[in-house]
Amino acid sequence: MNKRVVPGIVLLAIGAYFGFVVTLATFNGVAGLGFGIPTGIQAAIAATCAVLGALYFLTIDDVGDSTAPAAWLAGAGVVCFAIGSYIGLFVAPPEQYMGEVQRIMYVHVPSAWCALLAMTIAFASAILFLLRTDWKWDARMEGSIEVGVVLAFLLCCQGAIWAKPTWGVWWDWDPRLTTTAVLLFAFLGILALRRFVDDPVKRGIWSAVATIIAYVDVPIVYFSVRWWNSLHQQQSNPGTVSRQFWLPLRANAFGILFLMVAFIMLRARISALRLKTELAPPPLAEAQLGEAV
Amino acid sequence: MSQGLVTGGWNFVIAAYGITAAVLIIYGVTLVTRLREAKSRAAEER
Repeated sequence: MNKRVVPGIVLLAIGAYFGFVVTLATFNGVAGLGFGIPTGIQAAIAATCAVLGALYFLTIDDVGDSTAPAAWLAGAGVVCFAIGSYIGLFVAPPEQYMGEVQRIMYVHVPSAWCALLAMTIAFASAILFLLRTDWKWDARMEGSIEVGVVLAFLLCCQGAIWAKPTWGVWWDWDPRLTTTAVLLFAFLGILALRRFVDDPVKRGIWSAVATIIAYVDVPIVYFSVRWWNSLHQQQSNPGTVSRQFWLPLRANAFGILFLMVAFIMLRARISALRLKTELAPPPLAEAQLGEAV
Repeated sequence: MSQGLVTGGWNFVIAAYGITAAVLIIYGVTLVTRLREAKSRAAEER
């Protein structure tokens, strides 16, 4: 095993310990595994370690030939997502007021977290590309924008499906929904911009600047439910969500997080391969070859 | 909906999980296909 992966595995193990082992132990009446840490802090440790662990794999990925790290992460993501969806659909109880429809939360909330995280990775990659002019960051920026757009699209679809039985409408120009739609189309526009600019230097700089500007909408999306009177509910925390909902939500959050990072790694590799051919010196023309001889 | 409670709704749940699985699977498959194409194109140009 490559020693470079050890810190990532340790971080993910800590995340899994506080996210699942301690929770399962508490459900089964086993106390003391959480070291007396409050449940809110445990959830924060689990989320932070899982995100840092997954991002660690992204940063050590040298955008080379091997797709093994992405394949392992994708496999782990599928397993977590399958377990989380099974518990969410068949084991967790229906919610008191929303009934069965609340089960949509187990895919909707992780999609929202991961969409905003993918945009944040794009923002960080854009800054690192402008500061370091390393093409690896340009490839990661393109990868994370595309994956962020896919997740934001998914988020809007799931939200519409959840809105119909609870709000009575598929869509409403509510602050949270509107700012999310703006985010989706802003990043979609950046992908279109990258598609139409052939010069890789101009493409990299223009799209990095556009990404930094578009990212302004991410905190607006997050805080929209607090700043304005919104139909959408405010953010929950372990103190406001029933313990019975924790496991499926966390398993799906881990699953979609791993899939998101694996997708970004694969998509960045596609961009890197294209960049390699674009930045390679053009082959000498026949006339130039003749002159050289 | 009756008396502020949402009743039924499994069709919406199935639709949400179905679209999530479909989008993730389709996007994953297109990524693998595009990566293969990009690799073979890069190998041809070498």
